[in-house]
Amino acid sequence: MGIPTRFLFGGVLMRKKRISVVALLFVLPVIAILLAISIFPLIYSFYLSLCQWDIGTGASRTFIGARNYLRLFTDARLWGALRNTGLELLLGVGSQFLLGLALALLLNRPFRGRNLVVTLFLLPMMISPVVVGCIWKIIYHYQYGPLNFLLERLKLNSVNWLGSNQVSIYSIILADIWEWTPFVMITLLAGLQAIPDELYEAARVDGATRLGTFFWVVLPLLRPVMIIAILIRVMDAFKIFDLVALLTMGGPGQSSETIAFYNYLTGFKYFSMGYASSMAYLQLAIIVIIANVFLKSWKGREIS
Amino acid sequence: MVSLFLLGVASCAQAVKLVVIGDAGHNLKPFEWYAQTFKEKFDVELEVIGVPFGEVYEKEKMELIGQTGAYDIMIVFPKFLAEFAANGWLYPLDEFIAKLDPKMEDVTPGYRDFYCKYGGKVYALPYDGDILNLYYRKDLLENEEEKANFKAKYGYDLKVPETWDEFLNVAEFFTRKKGEKLAGQVLERAFYGTAYYGQKDQIFAWWGNIFSSLGGVYFNEETMEPGINSEAGVKALEIMKTMHQYCPPDVLAYGYEELKDVFLQGDCFMVVQWPCVGKKGADANQSKIVGKIGVAHVPGVKKDGEIYYRPLMPCGRVLAIAAESKDPWKAYQVIQYLSLETSLDDVSTAETGLDPYRYSHFNHPEAYEMFENVEDAKIYLAGVQQNMEKGYPEMVLPGTVEYEETLGVEISRALSGEKTPKQALDDAAKAWTEILNRLGKENQKKMYQELVKGWRAAGLWE
Repeated sequence: MGIPTRFLFGGVLMRKKRISVVALLFVLPVIAILLAISIFPLIYSFYLSLCQWDIGTGASRTFIGARNYLRLFTDARLWGALRNTGLELLLGVGSQFLLGLALALLLNRPFRGRNLVVTLFLLPMMISPVVVGCIWKIIYHYQYGPLNFLLERLKLNSVNWLGSNQVSIYSIILADIWEWTPFVMITLLAGLQAIPDELYEAARVDGATRLGTFFWVVLPLLRPVMIIAILIRVMDAFKIFDLVALLTMGGPGQSSETIAFYNYLTGFKYFSMGYASSMAYLQLAIIVIIANVFLKSWKGREIS
Repeated sequence: MVSLFLLGVASCAQAVKLVVIGDAGHNLKPFEWYAQTFKEKFDVELEVIGVPFGEVYEKEKMELIGQTGAYDIMIVFPKFLAEFAANGWLYPLDEFIAKLDPKMEDVTPGYRDFYCKYGGKVYALPYDGDILNLYYRKDLLENEEEKANFKAKYGYDLKVPETWDEFLNVAEFFTRKKGEKLAGQVLERAFYGTAYYGQKDQIFAWWGNIFSSLGGVYFNEETMEPGINSEAGVKALEIMKTMHQYCPPDVLAYGYEELKDVFLQGDCFMVVQWPCVGKKGADANQSKIVGKIGVAHVPGVKKDGEIYYRPLMPCGRVLAIAAESKDPWKAYQVIQYLSLETSLDDVSTAETGLDPYRYSHFNHPEAYEMFENVEDAKIYLAGVQQNMEKGYPEMVLPGTVEYEETLGVEISRALSGEKTPKQALDDAAKAWTEILNRLGKENQKKMYQELVKGWRAAGLWE
């Protein structure tokens, strides 16, 4: 006589249920932490963005709907900060990519002391961002800084690196390039190292020139890594804060103020929490759009 | 039983641990110097947390809003006191003052009546008496060659500038390029007539010295219309724009350290700065112009035959106790000790940036040992006191930081040539009106009127 099916499957079901409960219990702490530090702040900050809450006055939160978002469109200071951030993305990340690629190509060949050279190139990235800011503040000093000293020695005019509203944002971009080009370099170098030597040989055998090999073999294979490196740098550069705070405090005027810095001022100096939250969501939307463009480009390449 | 007893004794014997927060650096030194004294006298152990100057406000506020009790003793900039006290975040000190007198009658009126009190109650004790002063190179002023050249160019004798017009003349005269002569010596690098605090958090005070002397007011008391873009405000910014030509090219990036150093390293003829610069100027470890510094009142305008000048009182420091403090009485004993017993030692040393705020600080020039002699110390103190008596108070309202920084951004824009002075101040006034409406106009008006009433009673407002 066989065991009745319902009891057989009922037993399996009971065991499955027990396993599910046990699994849930194991996963619960992680879910709780995720909810606490990720999901809840996301939902709460979105709710805040729909409220007016100026903590400094002791006033309570007042629901105002989308008024904070409408205010974003008329805030000239915000658009100035976005413009500066855009400059950092185009010039800063663009330069980091080109320089990083050039360095990676140069270092992608065996030579004596290569490991030491690579390590030295990585140093800027390993220094604490606050220390980088302090170093560049000294470098940029108009009277005592080594940069103007060098320019003077070359019979050129000193540059007002931090005190000119036309130059200050570029000074920040330059310091950022110095700090993060090594990251792009090491990422692309890893990608180059993953390209099999046989492909280079095959290209050589087929009569490809070095330039041809670079454009038709190396670049296509390196593309996914390039996209990742640029995407990570774009997301980081969008949040640039430490260099701004240490070098210029966003000045003179607002000429080097980035969106992250203005967001910080709004939330933690002026304590206008509702408006600061809406600004944060604007940044999130922009970053998500940019990330999607990059990832679609990557997926498009994969499909082809 | 024995171990329980010992545990009890041990816990009783443990000193009370209090947490202090303030701007990192020289102003926290007294907490370290007297750590042993606090332990012996009050059975208190201090944990001192230093944060960057520009972050003190938000670091303190975040913990106070959250009522975390993270801090017991707080160094507070007076402009935040009203906000902190109004929100119930500070412990009122009147009952403690009745038990342990901090001798507030010895404190100069501005600090005593405005920077330590709110709503008639005392919430803090003074710790640092900031007032802006004019420092200049007296050796260059006394140089015969420079005097003759100045007289030939401007038609009057070279002297300490007392009006803004004289200030601009002297600044122009002493701005020299590398290779030109200064007091008979060929300059190895450029020398500047003056400099100012260019970063947006405090630049309003340097503009404010001129604005206040021209009769400017922050707001109209009745209508709360901003007064910053009045005729006085625009003229003040135009004067500052002229002054800008005689400053180092990177002056708009100058904070406290850069402004102090450009003068103390001998690259600039005169600056308006806090009292600590006078002390540090007499310390050979920090200054290349020891013995060459004069102190005077900030320039003003001639009014009815007299010079009307009003130096701003930006920053300053007071010691407050958090409402959530674990032991407010012990915290009070510590701050009373610093504000009274050791205050003369703390303000008379070049190792701190703390400045005089008690009459007794001004009456003991011999304590200021960094000066070559007592006479020099007396001159320094007389200069500071002269400015303190005519101090123009900083606004102490919720939102003051936003008002000041917004104004600072526009002043900076005008000085960098991005906007005209009128455009910049009109935009600043528009921003002030928006802030005012957002924070609650009626409430702000009530608080501002109370402030003005108090300033008037103390003879600091017309």
